[in-house]
Amino acid sequence: MSTVQAASAEHGDQEDLVEDLAHFGKATGGKIAMWMFIAQDGMSFGGLLFAYGVLRASAESWPIPSDILGIPLTALATFLLICSSLSMVFAVLAAQERNQAALVRWLGVTIMGGVTFLGIQAYEYTHLVHIGIGFAESSWQGEPINNLFGTTFYAVTGFHGLHVFSGVIYLCCVLRGAMAGKYTQGGHSYSPVELVGLFWHFVDLVWILVFTFIYLL
Amino acid sequence: MEHQSTLSTTQDEVDKAHYIQEQSHRATYITVFLILGVLTFFEVFIPEIYAADYSSITKMLLLCVLAFGKAALVALYFMHLKYESPWLRWIGYTPIYMGFAVIIIMLETVYR
Repeated sequence: MSTVQAASAEHGDQEDLVEDLAHFGKATGGKIAMWMFIAQDGMSFGGLLFAYGVLRASAESWPIPSDILGIPLTALATFLLICSSLSMVFAVLAAQERNQAALVRWLGVTIMGGVTFLGIQAYEYTHLVHIGIGFAESSWQGEPINNLFGTTFYAVTGFHGLHVFSGVIYLCCVLRGAMAGKYTQGGHSYSPVELVGLFWHFVDLVWILVFTFIYLL
Repeated sequence: MEHQSTLSTTQDEVDKAHYIQEQSHRATYITVFLILGVLTFFEVFIPEIYAADYSSITKMLLLCVLAFGKAALVALYFMHLKYESPWLRWIGYTPIYMGFAVIIIMLETVYR
């Protein structure tokens, strides 16, 4: 191969690289696996919300959720998750830019967002149990209400809360690797950060739907 | 020498393309974040506006459109689904039919 041909081949590789960058890189095995997991998990949440819809639609009486549940506090929690999604995309960008300090900082902010969300959820559960909304039996202002209100509420939000909890643990594991400089070595070394990001955005996406169907509708 | 010059130029082009792309994505992320924040703010007032008409179809449609619009923004931009290859996009779209089923069930309450 002549020098000109070799240079031409190199140039072709670089063009491919530019094209790859324009598409966020070719999907790795990890990314495909994460998307398949997300799709399956999405169907699990879909099944729960579907069951909630069926139970609510067929119930003789159903309390107005916004009367019982604290909408402003939950809206704040929703906004917190959206903020943590933004910090997560910045963490991925930092990893791609090989900026370790920024990566650690943004991952830390994302973890804080998740922990605060869980704190708000724990406070909300304590408050609801205190005012009579239990998992098996519910009452509101001294009057018994449809027990399924509490059951479906805790089942759906609890399942989501477990996802946030797992996400926080997953993020902590990635943060540990980020502090050791594992994900800022160039190439596809940032991939684990991208994968945890996908999971975290999914948790945010699901909460947007849960907030509407369980709290606002 | 000519070879090295060619490589250096293409590397510069790659770096420049990467830099421009990252800046453009940063701006997109902030825009999406602001849209999500504003929509969430307005969303909270919808149940109050329709407090007198609990099962209003307008309220349900508004909330569903807002929720799915916000979820789509997260999936397309934060999760980069917009930039993925079509087959990977289809994996991501799989659970959507469940969402439609939920909307139908909710609308059923209106005509009960």
